[in-house]
Amino acid sequence: MAFEVVIRSKNMVLVSYLNPLSEEGRGIVRTLGGLEEISLDNDDLMNIVIHTNRQTISNQDVVPETIVDLAINRIKWYIERKNNKEFNPNDYSYFFNEALAEYDTIAFHILAQAIANKFRPGSREVKLFVESQGLMIEDRLTKLPLSDRKELVEEILSDLLIQDGIKWSFLKDLIATKKLSLTDLVLENGEIVLDREEFVNTFDDKFSDRSPERVYDILIGDNLRELILTKLLMQNTENYIKSIQDQLSMVEMHPAIVELGEMLDETITETLARYSTFYASGGTYGNMEIGKLIKEAFPPCIANTVEGVSSGGRNDAIVLLLTSFVSYARLYPGIFASDRTVKVSDIDTNLNITLNEILPLIYEAADNCNPPLFEDQPQEKINIISKLGFGMHDEVNLENEGETKWYTPMSCEKIKMHLPQLCRENKDCAKINNPLSYYSRKKWIIAKNGELSSKKASSEDSAD
Amino acid sequence: MFGTSTIQERRRYYREEWSEKDLPDFISNGITKREFGFDHLGHGPNDRYKVFKGTDTLKRFLRYKAPFAAYISVAFYANPHKRGGWEKAEYVFDIDAKDLPIRSCNCDGVCEICLGEALERVNAILDDLKGDLGLKDIHIIYSGRGFHIRILDPIMMEANSELRGEVLKYVAGAEVPKAQYPNIVPGGKPYNFEHFSIPIAYPAIFTEKVKYNILHLRGDEELDGINNRLLKDLVKYKNYLYEDDWGSFKKNIGPRRYKDMVNAMARVNLATIDAKVTIDLKRILRLPSSLHSKVSMKCVEVKNPETFDPFKYAVPKFVYERKDENIAEN
Repeated sequence: MAFEVVIRSKNMVLVSYLNPLSEEGRGIVRTLGGLEEISLDNDDLMNIVIHTNRQTISNQDVVPETIVDLAINRIKWYIERKNNKEFNPNDYSYFFNEALAEYDTIAFHILAQAIANKFRPGSREVKLFVESQGLMIEDRLTKLPLSDRKELVEEILSDLLIQDGIKWSFLKDLIATKKLSLTDLVLENGEIVLDREEFVNTFDDKFSDRSPERVYDILIGDNLRELILTKLLMQNTENYIKSIQDQLSMVEMHPAIVELGEMLDETITETLARYSTFYASGGTYGNMEIGKLIKEAFPPCIANTVEGVSSGGRNDAIVLLLTSFVSYARLYPGIFASDRTVKVSDIDTNLNITLNEILPLIYEAADNCNPPLFEDQPQEKINIISKLGFGMHDEVNLENEGETKWYTPMSCEKIKMHLPQLCRENKDCAKINNPLSYYSRKKWIIAKNGELSSKKASSEDSAD
Repeated sequence: MFGTSTIQERRRYYREEWSEKDLPDFISNGITKREFGFDHLGHGPNDRYKVFKGTDTLKRFLRYKAPFAAYISVAFYANPHKRGGWEKAEYVFDIDAKDLPIRSCNCDGVCEICLGEALERVNAILDDLKGDLGLKDIHIIYSGRGFHIRILDPIMMEANSELRGEVLKYVAGAEVPKAQYPNIVPGGKPYNFEHFSIPIAYPAIFTEKVKYNILHLRGDEELDGINNRLLKDLVKYKNYLYEDDWGSFKKNIGPRRYKDMVNAMARVNLATIDAKVTIDLKRILRLPSSLHSKVSMKCVEVKNPETFDPFKYAVPKFVYERKDENIAEN
């Protein structure tokens, strides 16, 4: 297949080069005869690839022969680009060849469908795809000639933002999901200041020692516009995946897409495993094994909780934070990288660990509180059981499992807000966003440095 | 402040002084959608999930029970009796004078000075909520020991906890502003800017709050990340900040310690506001117009936050009479 009729915009560069979800992009997808074509050798595609400047052609692994290859390579490119210290940009030069835009648009759409079909919402793979799209946009922008770049950004932004005065609340989903920080924006009366003239008019009197135009160029200029554009397109990609997933029960996915999903599963696992160090195969925290609790690896917030909390934060610290932390740290530290929905009994089949290790530690911490938690609030025992997934009962019982959800530990950010008295960051907290991640990492460091006693180390791998 | 109210004083307050007209409109309107909670004995609000058909039934309840404390949910529910069918919730900032990590008084609980400083912080937050974020329908409530900023702007009423947390970080100054800005020119070096050299947007909010904190340091605070020596130096060199001479201030503190200070101040800023109240979608807050029995003060709406004086607007009549009796006895 070759694109004879392309819907070119005013720009030399297609809008869908950055925004495959644009009307233009959807139009390109409609030109595809049938999904059978995506697995067929495509001479036109190969021709574009091998004639791309500086493209490596000696390595067959990186040269796509079909649109399916192109889609898979999009993901490979991202993982390599992020993780490979010896990454050779020439291996994937074709992704930055604007002539590839139509094929790339189709690759994006089939990838989205395959990922939506194969993986659950919010999974590592969905996140990886959304992030790959973000990085692809960023890299493409930096490689475009400046004039094309400005024009394209302007055109796409005016499509996405519709109105001139953009209220910050229009971007609230991006802000809530931390794709964009309010602190990066210049706000005035609820609107984001993006226009140079408006900036100068609004803030002229604030600058005495430098020109407001220059400050505009640095604070906002093209940087902020591009940031907003990239994050909006990432959000739209995520929404697109969600919308496909919402329709999955009503639509049967084409076998070619199903097959692509299987291939992606294999590719992602294999490629990520190549770059994981302590995270082990399967990606971030993927195959962290269960093991005895190592208190030396507890983050400060958990260590402080175990020592006891004074009234005011006792309930949340013990019931919400410690219960979920201890149970996952002991039984399933890799939860955040996992696709599986797990129950306590999947790992602790006869509940021996829960009864003999997890609950005693939680109860001890509750007793260390001032005043002791159960003294005036014995009902919290039931809440603890419920947070482990065993319903509102005063004892852990297999037959009640699943009545409630097995809670995961709250993030560092939530701890800072909910239980600020417990958060005493140390140097190991840097770049950690959940106490469980801290624990997994610290445990690995301790084991690596041989700081664990041989007894502890040997019991580490024994699953009870 | 004025000591705990007796049951007789509470009864007098609700029977003789309290009127449904004291309820702010934002409370009276939609009252049937809110959950009420009461503390009858001074042990915390354990009489929860109450619902009133209108202000009349609330009035009867208050007159009859004369509760130690009365609370109302920030949330609106389809079925408030069971906290079912959550529809929306006010967005709230709780600034308690006694919990301010930096305050120039050294009182045990709450005094005129720290209440005044809490109100100054409220006013600064108001400026950012209105001026930067353009939020409307904002009400300030004096709670008895501090202030609640209650926001009924539709943008925030339907926001989830995450968005509430992000707005909180912005308004509180809880993040250190970035110091490096990218250069779009390929190969161009990034630009470095300290927060104080950008007099607009978030860096300006952060700078103002850090300045306020430093100018109100006593020198004996215990602040996470700031050791005694640094604390003493912050106090020693704070005069530079009256003139906004941040360059000299930083030079005297030293770049490494300055960085420590900035990080610590971001934490102080967050601790100034009770963040868990802000991100909570189902919180109950002290009912405006009700009595804070622990301190014998009224919880009232602040009409003018620039001039509000709690000792003028929030003291129930029985306190004056109580004082008179004391005076007479003496």
